[in-house]
Amino acid sequence: MWPMEEAELIQRAKQGDLDCFNRLVERYQREVYNLCLRMLGNAPAAEDATQDAFFSAFRGIGKFRGGSFRAWLFRIAANACRDQLRLLRRRPTTSLDTLPLELEFDQRTLSPEDDALRQELGEEIKRALAALPPDQRLAVILRDIEGLDYEEIAQATGSSLGTVKSRINRGRARLRDHLGQYRELFL
Amino acid sequence: MRGSLSPYIDGRLPSSERQRIESHIEGCEACRRELESLRAMVNLLHRVPLVSPLRSFALAEVAPQRRPAVFGALRAATAVAVLVLAFLFVGDAFHLFGAGLIEEGFGRQVSPIVENVSDMGGALAEGEEYIWPVLEIELALSGVVVILGGATVVLWHRRRKGGEKALKS
Repeated sequence: MWPMEEAELIQRAKQGDLDCFNRLVERYQREVYNLCLRMLGNAPAAEDATQDAFFSAFRGIGKFRGGSFRAWLFRIAANACRDQLRLLRRRPTTSLDTLPLELEFDQRTLSPEDDALRQELGEEIKRALAALPPDQRLAVILRDIEGLDYEEIAQATGSSLGTVKSRINRGRARLRDHLGQYRELFL
Repeated sequence: MRGSLSPYIDGRLPSSERQRIESHIEGCEACRRELESLRAMVNLLHRVPLVSPLRSFALAEVAPQRRPAVFGALRAATAVAVLVLAFLFVGDAFHLFGAGLIEEGFGRQVSPIVENVSDMGGALAEGEEYIWPVLEIELALSGVVVILGGATVVLWHRRRKGGEKALKS
């Protein structure tokens, strides 16, 4: 079957067609899940946030008025992450994350020591992201991990282009300062 | 200058601004290092992989909502009870039910001439005005409103949860 255009899937989902909505879910679940995973730094909480986001998206799809559907989904996912962050703060010892952040380097060119450093660096990035203010974290993740352009980020965060620029800039600078001791590996 | 370095890396600056930055960093070691380290940070973040979730987040069919009739009836009953209670309160406050109970307290007022027929169900003697036990009715109705309202809220909450569970596969 010819792949259905996104606009048509959205239109049918608005009329309550769950199958069409689920095809949108399949299309975007990886990106939404990764946004939640990097925002929360915790795999079980990220799964909950992703599920909540798609549930809210289905209930609210009638309110989608065009623009980037991906950015619209990310906005809902960011709200779901905010709820999960509140829950995590309330019970910080539950649902421990076991999913390491494995940076993608060419394994053949890495010595065993470098590989150990790579794993350490991955964990340090997780900590550095967690230490960022949520607004900056969201902007940096959307830009540098998810690859959105500034306009989409503005739509996904409900802020102006100027604010987006400044959050990305400050977020990147703080991450770099946090990772200062690993500078030799990535500089 | 430093605030423009990220947009510069992302190619988000107009060409005049771009040229200004390029000519500045040629002569400024500190800004050049700042730019390099930011660029390295961005490249590092590009190495953070998109992992595949271990499950699908597709939504399951919504189960038919159970007991909608019960829920509707409960809601209507609560509304009716609230309306009647409000009417009683307002009526009581404006002395619509004979002597104002608010000022005169609980007493089932009995006319002094007919003290001997104060029993419940006894025939009203001439000249006696039947006094509605408004306060008691108000208290009883308040209880009914609390029970009905509570039941409605519990049912609504359960339905909502049930609906969410049914959608989340």
